[in-house]
Amino acid sequence: MDVAIVLQAVVNGLMMGGVYALIAVGLTLIFGVMNVVNFAHGEFVMLGMVLTYLLHTFAGMDPAVSLVLVIPFMLGVGVLIQKGLISRVIGQPDEAQILLTLGLSVLLINVALLFLGPDYRSVKTSYKLSVFAAGPVLFSVPRLLAFVVAMAFSGILWLFLTRTDLGKGLRAVAEKPEVATLMGINPRKMHALAFGIGISLAAGAGSILTPFFYTFPAVGGMFVLTAFVVVVLGGMGNIPGAILGALAIGVTESLTSQFLALDLAMLGVFIIFVLVLVFKPSGILGKGKVY
Amino acid sequence: MNAAPPDRSGWVRWAPWVLLALILVFPFLFPSRYLLRTMVNIFFFAALGCAWNIIGGYAGQLSLGHAAFLAMGAYPTALLLLGYQVPPWLGFLPGVGIAVLLAFLLGHLVFGLRGPYLALSTLAFGEIVRILLLHFRDQTGGSLGVTIPFKGTDAWKLQFASEQPYYFICLGLLGFCLYVTSRVHGSRMGYYLQAIKENQDAAENLGIDLARNKVTALMISAGLTAVLGGFYVAYFYYIDPDSVCGTDLSIKILLVAIIGGVGTVWGPIIGSCILIPLTEVSNYLFGSGRAGASLIIYAVILVVVVLFSPKGLISLLPGGARSYRSE
Repeated sequence: MDVAIVLQAVVNGLMMGGVYALIAVGLTLIFGVMNVVNFAHGEFVMLGMVLTYLLHTFAGMDPAVSLVLVIPFMLGVGVLIQKGLISRVIGQPDEAQILLTLGLSVLLINVALLFLGPDYRSVKTSYKLSVFAAGPVLFSVPRLLAFVVAMAFSGILWLFLTRTDLGKGLRAVAEKPEVATLMGINPRKMHALAFGIGISLAAGAGSILTPFFYTFPAVGGMFVLTAFVVVVLGGMGNIPGAILGALAIGVTESLTSQFLALDLAMLGVFIIFVLVLVFKPSGILGKGKVY
Repeated sequence: MNAAPPDRSGWVRWAPWVLLALILVFPFLFPSRYLLRTMVNIFFFAALGCAWNIIGGYAGQLSLGHAAFLAMGAYPTALLLLGYQVPPWLGFLPGVGIAVLLAFLLGHLVFGLRGPYLALSTLAFGEIVRILLLHFRDQTGGSLGVTIPFKGTDAWKLQFASEQPYYFICLGLLGFCLYVTSRVHGSRMGYYLQAIKENQDAAENLGIDLARNKVTALMISAGLTAVLGGFYVAYFYYIDPDSVCGTDLSIKILLVAIIGGVGTVWGPIIGSCILIPLTEVSNYLFGSGRAGASLIIYAVILVVVVLFSPKGLISLLPGGARSYRSE
């Protein structure tokens, strides 16, 4: 086995893993704070991609720049969805929230299908095919950019949660909702904030995916299961766990497709998933409560 | 143990029999191919909803991967028919065996999980089966699927040029699923499943064997779903991993049960009677090319049902939820 090929597969896996990380930290934040598993999470990645595609096509905006618009916009959308829909099923049986977010997912995919059609669209940037070599390993510029941006946002989220009062409020609600309420923190506001941040990060991941990934209505399905796997692997609600889990899954996927078979890439991931769920449902790093 | 006879009076007592008689003469009164196909679809999805309901509704164990069991039934049926001329009414049996065995293994593996964890693992199970079907293309035809050639009417192979035979076969299958569901509903196990659904820990403290009851329910549900997979092959003549094992299908199956009323015998029929005609209407209005429209309607109905009528539409009928649920 050629070392350079292995190294290349690992690097490719890490690049993709970075994007998975950004999607997964949003998912795990929502779970940690609200105890809601967002089955529509992949569709917010798709919305981010679609918005970026539209901004690129009609305003010539670079995907990395469009983040500045996409993230605040989706933050607002998330707050509205939380207040209008999700808040009604908080505290109800698990089924209600699973079905609600599942319904939301089907709705978003098909509304996108209605307006955009099933076509695969791509965003053409000047650096789309740029590559540079570092020793024996090649780095694709858009993938590296995505990785760097994703890691930066994950880091910003981490700082926000640990260094700001608002972030500490979120963690307080995740940790002990009753006590947080007694301390004057409004859990409803924190839920809205968590959902808004969670889906805007997913949409941001969508933005940075567009230079090297096709945009189409059902694209979210390709990420949502991976994001679940990552979140379970890292421990539901555990943010550093999600980042490490995402990188691990990215590498697993890349190595499987390199050395086993391209179409089995997801299989390895799912098998790990079921095994982790069954034998260590608290995740490899243990269940964290958003820290 | 039987459920106390529900309090029915007046038209409610006669309505089911009148309806049954109407359904039996329907294909002769309205021999329109299109109408009959719609009816077969209604029966088919009602039956799938019934099968799902045993584990998803009664036991409250949300399965998001039920399409995989349909595929278990469909693939062996299709491959045996194509490769060895085994008629579907015989060829579906190995698939049912595989589905039941797999349900046994899956059940033991995942039923320690609850809520979202269980839903996620069943979702992953469906995807694993789909990926394997796509991967072993030499055996399964991969993404091209398996096409069964139609060589004129041949009752032995369940190939008919007219719709009427399929109508009655599918009606029979629906009847069978309803029979099994109502047997489960009134049985000791049915009560156990409902206790598990209400509160697993309390059920366990009362001495109910959680694993055994849940696994048995999943095996029954999977077996019925696989039988319907066999019918799918005979009726549609074409299968591929996305159409018989996709998450979309899994969601459609649970939608039928949930919209109608989870954990009720008749709920899935109500759900199917609403969803399938809606699909037809939306295909007519918006064109079937844009499949999006009908799914938008499904999704909106699902969201509305979850928010405003979590027991399903059956609970809106006069005495609906009460008379069909054993309290």
